[in-house]
Amino acid sequence: MARLLAAFAVALACVAGMGVAFAAPTEAFALSTNKATARPNEDGGDGVIGGIETRLTWEGTVGGDEEVSSVTLELADGGNFDGSTTRVTVLDGLTRIDIDSEVSTDGNLLKVKFADPIPANSLLRIVVEGMTFPAAGGEQVVSGSYETSGGESHALDDSNAIDTISNTPLQQAVAWLDANPAVQAWNSNRFLGMFLKPQLILTSLSSLFPGWVLCLGIVCAAYPFAILLGLAFSLMKLSRHKIVRAIAITYINLLRGTPLFLQIYIAFFGLPMVGINISNNLLGICVMAINSSAYLAEIFRAGIQSIPQGQYEAAASIGMSRMQTMFSIILPQTVRRVIPTVTSDFITSYKDTSLLSSVGVMELMMFAKNATSVSGNITPYVTAAIFYLIITLPLIKVVGIIERRIERSERGAGPRPVAGQDAGSATDELEAAGASHAEAIERTGLGAGTLEPAFAEEGGVADVR
Amino acid sequence: MCARKASANVVAKAVEPALPAEEAAARAYAHDRDLTSHHFSLDEHPIVRIEHLNKTFDGHTQVLRDVNLDVWPGEVVVVLGPSGSGKSTMLRCINLLETPTAGHILLKDKELTGLSASELSKLRQDIGMVFQGFNLFPHLTAKENVMIGQTKVLKKSKEEAEAEAIKQLTDVGLADRADFKPAQLSGGQQQRVAIARAVAMHPDVMLFDEPTSALDPELVRGVLDVMRDLAENSGMTMIVVTHEMGFAREVADRVVFMEGGVVVEQGKPDDVFDHPQNERTAAFLGNIE
Repeated sequence: MARLLAAFAVALACVAGMGVAFAAPTEAFALSTNKATARPNEDGGDGVIGGIETRLTWEGTVGGDEEVSSVTLELADGGNFDGSTTRVTVLDGLTRIDIDSEVSTDGNLLKVKFADPIPANSLLRIVVEGMTFPAAGGEQVVSGSYETSGGESHALDDSNAIDTISNTPLQQAVAWLDANPAVQAWNSNRFLGMFLKPQLILTSLSSLFPGWVLCLGIVCAAYPFAILLGLAFSLMKLSRHKIVRAIAITYINLLRGTPLFLQIYIAFFGLPMVGINISNNLLGICVMAINSSAYLAEIFRAGIQSIPQGQYEAAASIGMSRMQTMFSIILPQTVRRVIPTVTSDFITSYKDTSLLSSVGVMELMMFAKNATSVSGNITPYVTAAIFYLIITLPLIKVVGIIERRIERSERGAGPRPVAGQDAGSATDELEAAGASHAEAIERTGLGAGTLEPAFAEEGGVADVR
Repeated sequence: MCARKASANVVAKAVEPALPAEEAAARAYAHDRDLTSHHFSLDEHPIVRIEHLNKTFDGHTQVLRDVNLDVWPGEVVVVLGPSGSGKSTMLRCINLLETPTAGHILLKDKELTGLSASELSKLRQDIGMVFQGFNLFPHLTAKENVMIGQTKVLKKSKEEAEAEAIKQLTDVGLADRADFKPAQLSGGQQQRVAIARAVAMHPDVMLFDEPTSALDPELVRGVLDVMRDLAENSGMTMIVVTHEMGFAREVADRVVFMEGGVVVEQGKPDDVFDHPQNERTAAFLGNIE
């Protein structure tokens, strides 16, 4: 779309240029340069990149007192006309003049030699397809020289400057892909070309990156607050006071019972209407934190309640207060138990930041949407998927590992000290040998502390080794 | 019908205040003098007093009916009885892990029943408890398990608490397991750590709630040895609910037999074991042996 617009703009500019040329016949006495333009060659953008093939359009007007037999265009060092195809148009007034021309290229030089000299006041347009600007980028000026029919040689005026972008490794890679026959074949497949166009994967990896960073930023900034809020509400829900409990239950149920999408709309459209203006990103963080806190509150509540009653009793029996019991005994154990669930919730929150694109937060989905509408290709969405998966897949793996570890330790099959390893008494040896049996008794429910030895401590195991 | 009558009973008892200390001590002295092999004098007061203790679960299941028991400083009382006789509930009522429906619990003549949560947690540090399921804190090492009560409740410095923990773990023969987590210890070792954790608080009385029931037979001995040592060498006041008849006979000063939520019989171990007065006691002991 943007490219189309750009092309349209170029065309308009050409027409305007011509208009100027015709409207005010110059009193020039030499071939003057009207304009030089280049076609954007940035994938998904409208910049002109050096080092990658593009199209140069150069226009000039022949002076009123001379005929031109050849024109040489020159680029700065590093520019290249080799391998390009050139179209030459000569207009005299509004009529097109058919004149044979011979084009030769030599690196940054392109020479157009006319079979017959082109007449005075005629408009000359040279369109060079497949040329490249210097890879270094910067402002590029087309200069050169021309010969008149009388055999005189004159320098050409410098053209207007064409802004070019330096050619990054990424763009070089794209250029390489463009030229690669295998990639061309790949892209010619309707589905592969639409969903998995290699060039677009590459460019959108870079163009979506800021969105990905914002996504991570939002969820990472929101999560600590979500954890604190969630913890507070879980404790409130476990409170003995009816009103405190009711507040927590209302908060949790309202947030869990409505879609995040709706909450985002209410926050982003509602708050400004009552005169509260918070920056989009900050508001996004707030909404994500509040939404997650409700889910975390339930996770923590379940975690706290999964700690066996015996732990409270043991803490009470040595005189610990309720607060001490909660913070020194119950919560440290809860943390370990809820890590997998909390990680899963983190994954969900991270993915749900995508909903913020609907209210104009410039996160990953927003960038992907833009890149897709510029390129008319679905590939940027696939790239966005890659960005989400970079974070979610390892976390999913981590959740699996932790869950297996917990399951293993709850079965009581964690590593044990070797019997009599360090100066253990005979009783110790006996006990260590009998330990697994004792464990079995507990598993069958004969022991009251079935759950209590559940957590084989990895840290402790490391100590043993 | 029966349940309603019982709860009416309970309400009546709840109104009765605890006896004055002197009167209670005199009465207990007269009652217990011939029932225990522990020596105590007339001017001593019982360290734990259980008066008219009633406990009803869910409003109708009466577990304890008018239990009265006095425990003297340094005495080892072993509570025997079949499952469901209410002996564990009685023990848990002493440090108010269960709230009595009616009756009084007094520690050193200070009433525990009816105290606020914060007052109660202060007094609980004077009553050590060892649980059937050990209830060690799984996220802490053996040493940290013993230390946490001292640092959090007694506000001792970390160094002091650590020294005390090492001493207590040495006493239960687990100095070399100080840095192990509970899951890395056998059941017997865990229970010994639990005993060390309770003893480190230097309580006035220790409650043992079936401390060896969850253990393999070969692990029981180590725990009982620690308990015997505690009774004989430290002079700790102990109330022990157990099924270990050998331990009861050897270590106990007094054996209390409970059934159906009442104290059926109590006396010196040899008297109760060799000449049970109550036929239910006799039947129970006969079954065990």
